Amino acid sequence: MIEIGLGIIALYLLVGIFIAIPFVFAGAKKVDPGAVEGTWGFKLLIIPGAAALWPLILKRWMGKAHPTECSAHRRAARR
Amino acid sequence: MSVSYQAVGWNAFKKKYDLLLWAGILLYLAIFSAVGLALNPAATAEILLIRATGTAAIFLLHMILCVGPAARLDKRWLPVLYNRRHMGVSMFLLGLIHAVIVVLTYHAGADLNPVLSIFVSDAGSTVGTFPFQAFGFLALVILFLMAATSHDFWLANLTAPVWKTLHMLVYVAYAFLIVHVVFGVLQSETHPGYLALLVVGFVLVTGLHLLSGAREKALDRGRDQDVAEGYVDVCHIDEIEDNRARIVSLSGERVAVFKYEGKISVVSNACQHQNGPLGEGKFVDGCITCPWHGFQYLPETGQSPPPFTEKIPTFNVKLEAGRILVDPVPNPAGTRVEPAVF
Ligand code: FES
Repeated sequence: MIEIGLGIIALYLLVGIFIAIPFVFAGAKKVDPGAVEGTWGFKLLIIPGAAALWPLILKRWMGKAHPTECSAHRRAARR
Repeated sequence: MSVSYQAVGWNAFKKKYDLLLWAGILLYLAIFSAVGLALNPAATAEILLIRATGTAAIFLLHMILCVGPAARLDKRWLPVLYNRRHMGVSMFLLGLIHAVIVVLTYHAGADLNPVLSIFVSDAGSTVGTFPFQAFGFLALVILFLMAATSHDFWLANLTAPVWKTLHMLVYVAYAFLIVHVVFGVLQSETHPGYLALLVVGFVLVTGLHLLSGAREKALDRGRDQDVAEGYVDVCHIDEIEDNRARIVSLSGERVAVFKYEGKISVVSNACQHQNGPLGEGKFVDGCITCPWHGFQYLPETGQSPPPFTEKIPTFNVKLEAGRILVDPVPNPAGTRVEPAVF
């Protein structure tokens, strides 16, 4: 049981690494203008997070909108 | 942010902070190992390193958990809070070194997968066989997720509320680590002093959170107030110091009512960076300045000055006989509002 769980996690992270590497070179600048001229150090630092959260970054990469914060005031703001 | 991302946005303060932090960590590791060896000359280098890095990580975790509420209660803690991120990443690295040495010492070299071995080597239900290592492993996974998402890129792309929710998992990691310590090292180190230290840490963490929570509760009075037509009387202008703010709750969240240069402007209290409390900051160089990491906003528009792109909601405001009246319906983030002039 534990073996299966660990296997699934390993597979998840493996897929994550395959997505994270192209993401830091191509996807990050699409989702965030601050990443267009991001340094190599920056690219390296975001690889682990991108590999861990790959379903989310894939969604952002494929989507259009830059996320906006959702707070009570932003929701209640007059249109 | 719209400036280009770097690995670390260094400044003189952060360099000094990190220098002190790592000098402290290395000194602690050296002293712990030297004292450990003097008390127990038979101890191996691995055992000493496992214990030194483990205790250093736990100590830092307590510091990290305490500094947030401490800074709310006493502003002198703000400089420590400023670079808490580096403290957190350092704590994760210490935990990782601790775990790697444990795996190499106790779990590697056998037929069993070393990670699987962490979970099955002590998997009983009695105190002596309780799976304390599994709890340590799960805590490290949480700390990894937090360290991996500590760059500002993640704040901007997860948004501060989502990022904060993810980072709230630190409390789960803390609970797992208490279990890890109580069922692990405290089973062999039975001196009551160790348990007492852990209890003091727990009391400090919970006590500070309860104290700062109670203090903030007063601010949230009226938090559930509906968004209504009409202005809400928040206070008299004399009740606010120059270049400072009063925080009140309107429309389900806090707002910061700033008094500066003979004017009053009202903005949402949550900084777009990590939702720091803008109303606890000051008006500096023409901008509202967040007390946590110094992000700035123009009071009339709620926008960060170029080239930055952060925006926060603004509120319509007027004065009647010195009383500050605020429209509780927020304007979209970054909307220009004429300040009330006195
Ligand atoms: S929360 Fe970081 S600058 Fe405001």
